[in-house]
Amino acid sequence: MDCQIQIDNLGFNYGTRMVLEDICFSVEKGSFVSVIGPNGSGKSTLLKLITAVLKPKRGSILLQGEDIRFMNRKEIAARVAVVPQNTSIEFDFKVMDVVMMGRYPFISKLKGEAKEDVEAAVSSMRYTNTLHLADRSFMELSGGERQRVILAQALTQSPQILILDEPVSHLDLQYQVEILNLIRKMCLDNKLTVIAVLHDLNMASTYSDSVLMLKDGKIRYSGTPLEAFTKSSIKDIFNTDVYISVGEIGNKPYIYTLTKPHIESRNKSVHVICGGGSGSDIIKELYFDGYDISSGVITIGDQDWKTSKDYEAEVAEEIPFTGISDKAYLLNKKLMLKADYIVLADVYFGRANIRNLDILLEEEVKDKMIYIISDGTFKERDYSEGSALELYKKIKANSKVRLISKKELLEELVRQDLNYDS
Amino acid sequence: MIVKHKKGTTLLILITALLVSFLLSVRHGAVDIPVKEIINIFLYGEASTNSSILIDIRLPRVILAGLIGAGLAAVGAVMQGIFKNPLVDSYTLGMSSGAALGAVISIITGISAGIFGLATTGVFAFIGSICTLFFVYSLAYNKKRMSTNTLLLAGVAVSYFLASVISFLMMLNHGKIQHIVFWTMGSIATASWSKVLAAAIAIMPGLIILMFFARELNMMAMGEEAAQYLGVRTALIKTILLLVGSIIVGGVVSTGGTIGFVGLIAPHMIRFLTGSDNRSVIPFSALLGAILVILSDTIGRTIIQPAEIPVGIMTSIMGGPFFIYLLRKQKLNKI
Repeated sequence: MDCQIQIDNLGFNYGTRMVLEDICFSVEKGSFVSVIGPNGSGKSTLLKLITAVLKPKRGSILLQGEDIRFMNRKEIAARVAVVPQNTSIEFDFKVMDVVMMGRYPFISKLKGEAKEDVEAAVSSMRYTNTLHLADRSFMELSGGERQRVILAQALTQSPQILILDEPVSHLDLQYQVEILNLIRKMCLDNKLTVIAVLHDLNMASTYSDSVLMLKDGKIRYSGTPLEAFTKSSIKDIFNTDVYISVGEIGNKPYIYTLTKPHIESRNKSVHVICGGGSGSDIIKELYFDGYDISSGVITIGDQDWKTSKDYEAEVAEEIPFTGISDKAYLLNKKLMLKADYIVLADVYFGRANIRNLDILLEEEVKDKMIYIISDGTFKERDYSEGSALELYKKIKANSKVRLISKKELLEELVRQDLNYDS
Repeated sequence: MIVKHKKGTTLLILITALLVSFLLSVRHGAVDIPVKEIINIFLYGEASTNSSILIDIRLPRVILAGLIGAGLAAVGAVMQGIFKNPLVDSYTLGMSSGAALGAVISIITGISAGIFGLATTGVFAFIGSICTLFFVYSLAYNKKRMSTNTLLLAGVAVSYFLASVISFLMMLNHGKIQHIVFWTMGSIATASWSKVLAAAIAIMPGLIILMFFARELNMMAMGEEAAQYLGVRTALIKTILLLVGSIIVGGVVSTGGTIGFVGLIAPHMIRFLTGSDNRSVIPFSALLGAILVILSDTIGRTIIQPAEIPVGIMTSIMGGPFFIYLLRKQKLNKI
């Protein structure tokens, strides 16, 4: 593999304050690596070390196999370009002049700018859609335009490695996406290697091939976004509870921060009998209100199965199209007995899942509180030629069974909890 | 690609203005010399009373004024670039006062009495300038951050302190007061060809070096770190520029005393006309600085004849209000 950056045992400290410790990683050509971590975790210091703005106290950094300590500024700048956080200083330069600064490592002091230097500037401006701004003053530009010009400047350096320090955090959403799309495209098309500090975990997840998660100067987690971004890693790094859903955008994890007030557990559990999407809403709502969830029997790959997995429900699962095996049936029963409440969602019944009704008639289950989500359409949901309806009627006869609408369910459960407790 | 005509026009105007102000300054004074006679003296070497006034007194004075103005303005432009502050120049940073103190010390100790008098004074002025600069810089540079306001305040405070030290030295050295006043007010009334030579040696190479690093200075305007990312060795270049700036200020002060505000006004006007590109700001400021000092000196020595107003007072009278105007202006960040 073509290794662009190799970092070994890197360490840095300001006086006695340790900023980075035991940093080891390597970056392959053409990959997009994001560095994630809270403020003060050492992200910026890491970037400054890679660009030789700071000198490492320990360890080594190899840039395309060469030790960075033995390279001079221009040699580094000819390979590594940086898009800094934001360029806030006001100066009245022409955009073209700003972009041309990117050629500094290549322009000889005595010969001046060559034709190829101007060509490089023009082509990177075309690429970043800033060519029409060439004669404008940099000062007059909007934030998004400025950042694109700075990106053009970095590209004019014709770098093999591009380093981005929160390149988009001050930009409107439109420009954030625009710029990151551009950079991602260059990764794929031109084999540009990118190391980016990104604030937004979902941006990092969407655009990166791999992520490094830093805390207190150490790499705590690394890997593909799918490997590295987990509830527990994010809790550890950012001390924040999140919910992660996979598969909504490619095969990338999507991270939701949980802002609901009481995500604390109620120490009450609910078992949901569902399938075909009938239980997803219920599972989500109960989850966000602090209930522990289990569900079953659901076939693998079913929407409710996916939701259950996402929301950490214990699931009695079954292979598709086979009907409910004894094993799944028993697991389902076990989960039901463990639960404080049982909910029967408005699921369709056919030969394959009819045993989910059988189970509700078992002796041991009869003592449980059973809520049936009822909208009076059971008949239409019965595809078992009447046998499901028969079971359904028997279940309804049980005194502990209540019919309820989806809307009222949560309210009812909470009321029950209060009775329980008092 | 880049609209350069603005810069071309500006350059043309500046050169014309410099020639005009040169002629005006050579012509007017205690004795007015008609242009026709000036041409005759230059072209045909016509000898007369006026010719010796012209060659021995007025010409060196005008050239010295031009050199001093050019040096001060270029240094001002560079300092503003380095510190990213439109209000700094050799005067507000205390460099001029430091140089003046150095020069005064060389005089009262008698070191400058020998053959290399002017050179010694120049070296002392340079040392005073650079020591003050680094002192002011270290005052403002606190916890790895540089506050532009602190820099300015430190510069002004140190200037006051040095001025009072100079006054104190004046008190102790009655006999040399006349000599010392010259440093504090800024005057080129005693201009001579040897002073012109000394000033040229200190200022001209410095100007070229400053212009040589204009591109780097441009890049440093984006922030020192950003410049490093682009391949600029900022620490080295800053050191070179500050050293060269101090040499120029040493040359200026040892031959003309402390002359304020030129380094502030000229770069500002140039940026207003042509933008912040130091590749034109430094040479254009030098031209404008030369024009300003030549004109100030001309006005100073003609307006209340037979008395003379020292050029330093003239530039301060014009520059003070301009400084206040800059302070009040909202867009102070524009460099």
